[in-house]
Amino acid sequence: MSSIDMKKAISTAQLVPVALAMVGLLLTTAAPAAVPGITGPTFNLVATPEFVTQPDGNFVYSWGYGCDALNPPAAFVPANVSASGTCSAMQVPGPTLIVTEGQTVTVNLTNNLPTSAGNTSILFPGFTLTSATGAQGLLTKEAAPGLTAQYQFTATTPGTHTYYSGTQGDLQIDMGLYGAIIVLPNNVPAACDAGVHASNVTAQAASSVHTVAELDNRLAHAAYDHAGTCYDREYLFQFSEMDLRMHREAEEQVAACGATAGCTLHVATEPYFPTYFMINGRSMPDNMDGAYVPQYPHQPYNGNPHMHPGELTLLRIIGTGRWQHPFHEHGNHVRILARDGNLILSQSDVNSLAGPLLFTTTTTPGVTMDGIFEWTGKGVNWDVYGHNPASGDTNAKLPCDADSNGYNTAHPTAINYFEWCQDHNKPLQKAPFGDVGGGGPVTLPDPTLFALGAWWGGSPYLGPNATTRAVGSTGTTPPSGTVANSPSEEAGFAFMWHSHNEREITTNNIFPGGMLMMMLVDSREFVIDETK
Amino acid sequence: MINKRLIGGGIAAMLLALITLPAAAQSFQVQCPTTTTTHPVAADVEPEYTNANGFNGAIKCQQISGGDGFATMGDGTQTYMFSFGPLSGLHDMANGQPGTQFPGVFNTVAPALLPGDPATADGATGGLVYNQGTPGTFTYNGAVGLAPNADSIANGSCAAPCLDGHVDPRPIMDVGVMNGNIPAPLMAIDEDDEFFLTLTNVGQVMRPDLFEQHTVHFHGYPNASAFYDGVPDASVAINIGASFTYYYLSPDAGTYFWHCHITPPEHLQMGMVGQLYVRPRQNRVPNGVSLYSALQTQQGNLRTRCDSSDILCSNPLPAVDTGATATGVKYAYNDGDGTTAYDVEIPLQIHGFDPNFHFVGMTFNPENFTGMKDKYFLLNGRSYPDTVTPGPIATQSTDGVMHYSQPLPAIITLTSGQKALLRISDLDVTEYQTLASQGIPMTVIGYNAKLLRDQAGNNLYYKTNSITLAGGESLDVILDTTGIPAGTYYLYTPNLDHLSNDAENFGGLMTEVHVL
Repeated sequence: MSSIDMKKAISTAQLVPVALAMVGLLLTTAAPAAVPGITGPTFNLVATPEFVTQPDGNFVYSWGYGCDALNPPAAFVPANVSASGTCSAMQVPGPTLIVTEGQTVTVNLTNNLPTSAGNTSILFPGFTLTSATGAQGLLTKEAAPGLTAQYQFTATTPGTHTYYSGTQGDLQIDMGLYGAIIVLPNNVPAACDAGVHASNVTAQAASSVHTVAELDNRLAHAAYDHAGTCYDREYLFQFSEMDLRMHREAEEQVAACGATAGCTLHVATEPYFPTYFMINGRSMPDNMDGAYVPQYPHQPYNGNPHMHPGELTLLRIIGTGRWQHPFHEHGNHVRILARDGNLILSQSDVNSLAGPLLFTTTTTPGVTMDGIFEWTGKGVNWDVYGHNPASGDTNAKLPCDADSNGYNTAHPTAINYFEWCQDHNKPLQKAPFGDVGGGGPVTLPDPTLFALGAWWGGSPYLGPNATTRAVGSTGTTPPSGTVANSPSEEAGFAFMWHSHNEREITTNNIFPGGMLMMMLVDSREFVIDETK
Repeated sequence: MINKRLIGGGIAAMLLALITLPAAAQSFQVQCPTTTTTHPVAADVEPEYTNANGFNGAIKCQQISGGDGFATMGDGTQTYMFSFGPLSGLHDMANGQPGTQFPGVFNTVAPALLPGDPATADGATGGLVYNQGTPGTFTYNGAVGLAPNADSIANGSCAAPCLDGHVDPRPIMDVGVMNGNIPAPLMAIDEDDEFFLTLTNVGQVMRPDLFEQHTVHFHGYPNASAFYDGVPDASVAINIGASFTYYYLSPDAGTYFWHCHITPPEHLQMGMVGQLYVRPRQNRVPNGVSLYSALQTQQGNLRTRCDSSDILCSNPLPAVDTGATATGVKYAYNDGDGTTAYDVEIPLQIHGFDPNFHFVGMTFNPENFTGMKDKYFLLNGRSYPDTVTPGPIATQSTDGVMHYSQPLPAIITLTSGQKALLRISDLDVTEYQTLASQGIPMTVIGYNAKLLRDQAGNNLYYKTNSITLAGGESLDVILDTTGIPAGTYYLYTPNLDHLSNDAENFGGLMTEVHVL
């Protein structure tokens, strides 16, 4: 029994092939992505019905925002993913709208939902509309079926924001009408391109072990106009849930109404019993496939964070839907920078951050958070690279020259760039292990006594060099190619990032699934390619 | 079942063929070295903290079982659990204390142990005498199963008594089987400690169809290593009949917690959740020394330094030196100003049990994850009024033997003027829960195992009458009884439907604070 096996819930034998297919998907190499989106400042959006897919094989009738084919977006960003960028007439979440602080943003929304669905609209929480046209609705101007509403506002505050339907939100948001707005700061502090941020970029561009330069896919170099918000990498996480019954009732009623004038939907939105729990519109494991891949034509965004040790990684977290979800980031705490685009600073010193440090970032409907995550291995008390001064392999004998904070930042092209030097050459295991020295505190059990995970890198150590020296090129895992974290190519440290309302890491009652993804910390031997 | 076992064996054989690791020793074993490179001198004490680069902290060890067991709910229902149980510190655990031990205590050979110990050995004379709530004269705190390694003594590689981690499996099975606890064994370590936690998988007697691995996820550990993070998908998970020793240098002080990470919606709901906290260096500062200067001392080691150069630092030097000095009082964090001082430390874990899920979990039926609905709302594995029952609560398992499966009361007793540190964690897997204080104000000083302080050193504590947590969160609350009249006060949930024990409209997530 492998550790990722399926716990079939109330599912039946028919689901077994699906479960097997899921295992197959689980084992494909995952693809990272940055924060892909479209630029404006004018966005021509349409609201359209389509079917989204779930890993249990269901195609679920949904409504989503998308791009007007006749008035396509100005550009896809980041530039390195623009070639693969798509924006169809419907996607869940809606297109991520990327603008710059101070811009006047115009959103034209055309309602291409079925006539029986009635009006629709968009709310832009945290921004003040300077003009809006359309039919007057309860919360905002609305687009009547077939017609267009227009919203204008100034992107006054940088950071991560959300947009969603302001019309019958209990139904329309569950159906998929939500998305993200990212406002980039106007004045990125110089500090964001100096010091470790500069050497991190150098390390991405060059390496002593591979010739492929890693691409810089940041939308900006800071989240806010503040030196405390510099970052080296970024990811977006939009949490939502879905009640299948509502989607089926909507689908059936739309079909029943057809073109009958005056026929409207009456979908009960209570009791609410969601069975799909998604991050960026996809359930695990689909969320770890690439962005814009063809198998999810209406769910273009993924969630597959990768990072190198020492990189300050910006997490842009958005709660959508109705429920709160305790998003637990394994591996380290997150420094919360801002809430709803409002930077949280010390009352006594504007240069100091005051947001909390959280290992569980609760997502709340309508609330956004920006936070910084970093993993360095500091204080583990053993050399995660398994360095061995007695080895014949030069990469096993690399120096660790501590900077003023204790990290090996002096060697940006080295495998062990940003190693925590206090633990350099400290063995983990009592007895020597392959080409890794002994003298450490622990004895690992006989390998026949444990089960191995699909993201197990093959050894306790970080990166292919250390893993190969410890256990050989296949590690302790099944033959390479069948695992998600190849011992010979990646051998990263994998951490689960997931909802800690654990029943939500299921897809329609099948474990694993739902709000779950693996985050990988990779050594500098592995090229993180976010364009995949 | 026979077929499944054969298939399992086949997979094991396949893996074996692929493995290049050296084979080592036996399946059950414990690890608790008396010295390491970090702690080269054997000592069973926490040395005073005077030098950031001296030998600080100590070695601590604990052994736990992974298996199953039974607990009693507030309405008397006996509930089946997947659960961890104590295999070290049995005496301390039965007294509501952490099961974490120094090597000198851990590495001792047990007297003869009986199934269910210490619940069954209470009174210690005839064995099977049982008195609820009184662990009696049972005093053993060492590693269950530890035995001299006769082979190594015989071949001369180890001198008698040679307690090198070799164990006799019989006492492990006698004590560990059907001996699961809720909450799982309490762990407490100090900053700078090396912690060796051995998880011994004794199997689930009630579910022979499962060949479940179990793991320990140290929830919230900063800079966790994937290897020891307990996520089976990202690491290794120990099989039935074997032991795995987790190793960590203690992380920063704070209230963490731990749980199994195998199929989390199942194993957490079924009860594999426990408490864990790390005490600060500041507790070890010699009396009379300024707490501010002691925190300045910590800046002298890059590992213990904490300032704005690290965006994940939460306890920089306080903005104001209050002049507080160490007086033997305990603190929640390295605050440098004495503001997290407390007199009594109370671990409180919020959880919930869905009786339908637990019944299905016992009876081989397919489980309903999305329909999970908790009906028992637990503080330290108990519902009111059991929360205020002193001492451990025993339940007879299907093996006919009494087990102390609910060792931790949640009653809080203070003399007026005392401060209680509530280390509150939540591992509910279905919904958020609120805990309110009636009469005694709560001061929240820490959140998610971090001091509430901004980068400029200003404390961001706040007063409140209630806290709300999801599963996977923790916080630190100080209840200050200064000026509070003697009497009985309540911690209870304002989620009023949670003040129930299944069908009983009474009980639930509630406990009492007695101010004397």
